[in-house]
Amino acid sequence: MRRAILAVTATVAGIVALLSFKTHSPSSERTVAAPQAAPSLPSGERAITGNVADTAYGPVQVQLVVKSTRIVQVNILEQPSATEHDLQIGQFALPRLINETLTSQSARIDAVSGATYTSGGYIKSLQSALDNGV
Amino acid sequence: MAGAVSPRALQALIGAGAAAVLVLWWHAALAVSGLGGWLTGAGEICGLLAGYGVVVLVLLMARIRPIERGVGADRLARWHATGSRYVIGLISAHAITIIWGYAVTAQTNPVAETGALLTTYPDVLMATVAWFLLLGVGFVSARAARKRLRYETWYYLHFYTYLAVALAFSHQFAVGAAFIGDLPARFWWSALYVIVAALVVWYRIVVPARDFARHGFRVAGVRTEAPRTVSIYIAGRHLRELDTEPGQFFRWRFLTCDLWWGSHPYSLSAIPSDDLMRITVREVGDHSAALARLAPGTRVVAEGPFGAFIPMRTNRSILLLAGGVGITPLRAMFATLSGKVTLIYRASTWQDVVFQAELDAIAEARGGTVHYVVGSRSEFGTDPLSAAGLRQLAPGLHKMDVYLCGPPGMTGSAVAALAEAGVPRRRIHYESFEL
Repeated sequence: MRRAILAVTATVAGIVALLSFKTHSPSSERTVAAPQAAPSLPSGERAITGNVADTAYGPVQVQLVVKSTRIVQVNILEQPSATEHDLQIGQFALPRLINETLTSQSARIDAVSGATYTSGGYIKSLQSALDNGV
Repeated sequence: MAGAVSPRALQALIGAGAAAVLVLWWHAALAVSGLGGWLTGAGEICGLLAGYGVVVLVLLMARIRPIERGVGADRLARWHATGSRYVIGLISAHAITIIWGYAVTAQTNPVAETGALLTTYPDVLMATVAWFLLLGVGFVSARAARKRLRYETWYYLHFYTYLAVALAFSHQFAVGAAFIGDLPARFWWSALYVIVAALVVWYRIVVPARDFARHGFRVAGVRTEAPRTVSIYIAGRHLRELDTEPGQFFRWRFLTCDLWWGSHPYSLSAIPSDDLMRITVREVGDHSAALARLAPGTRVVAEGPFGAFIPMRTNRSILLLAGGVGITPLRAMFATLSGKVTLIYRASTWQDVVFQAELDAIAEARGGTVHYVVGSRSEFGTDPLSAAGLRQLAPGLHKMDVYLCGPPGMTGSAVAALAEAGVPRRRIHYESFEL
């Protein structure tokens, strides 16, 4: 019994130690210029494609549909999708990020908790799209 | 003599492997953030360690000859039993922390997340089945349950663990963050599984089959040594090639209609000649009872030799301490050891004493000493194998190497008495198959 308690304690302590050494800050980011206008939009609307923002889980790329100076739609061209878990995170995080974007009409939006990396990539790609021209 | 892997070396190897698994996680893992990240990270570490652990557990039971010889089948079985509890704990922790961590990250509840994991994540359903299989085998092997089971039932239930390991394998690559996008990691991880599988096939199937063909083991005869105790003589060819040491055992599978499916460990009671081996068995279960009825000519699959209960070459005098049918391996040692050897043979009645004539003859021929300590404890009034009693029977005891074989209760009290009599712990050798 004492050995069992010792084994469990040592395992938990080891895992906590490993994890706490892993909490330093994330991600390198690479930007690739790839703005391209999408064809056949209703008159007065134009599409602006953001740069690809790399995150540790994979690239994120957004495309804005803009009417005069208003963002009316956000398309996700790329998102982390290596695992089912990445897709699951995208599934709840991206709609929120898009909503925030449409409300704030800017890249000054909050990251969705639990989707720090995806949010970071999204905001970065969004910012580049805005820089490319609204 | 074949190579032997020491217990220390094996432990170091297992530990180094575990460290490599942690490095693999560290290499693949991203910065941990938030409760979800912590839980998921813990789940990943537990999962990787468990994936490694099951392989180690299989390896310990793969009957790899150099490991069996150096570490001993009894110690391997104990490590396997203890390790199994630990690994099942890791697997359960893995499942719980992953579900919880994913649920926190995905901002849903654990029940919904469990559903999502089972239905949309590839191969997780299979891994869950594997988890329940392992839990089932774990419960069946637990001390209390095992006593109510036939040895064979318990033994064959263990085959489900191979199925479980196979079922759980694919989800590691399909959803494991450490393996996705890391081909070398997948390669080495697969290599680990393939190598251990190959060792299992080699040592549990190929080698026994090869020995069966080469040596052609058959029952030569059965002799009753005492009430409920029989010696079985097994004939074969080129038996010296087996390189058997006194004190070792084989796993025997007698190919009769009702015995072929069970393999049982029995010690040799004499060192084999080139064409004859002998085991001596006391009836305890239905298997050993059936042995008395074996017909000469019955084919036998003999797997071995196994066991690290082998006398070491030293200049010290030797005490052999036998309890009941535990005389078997010590009888083989007594006949081969050189130098000053004392044998103490404890039995509860004279009827139970076997090999008396043989032992006396060996003692005379080789200048050894035999003490028969016969009678129940109440007849003696005190434990004849107390520290004082042992010192009287074997003067200079504290300077001797002691080899001990007997039922678990006797082994425990004898080890304590020997230690009290001043024998250093490292010079008391015994096998204990209590898990």
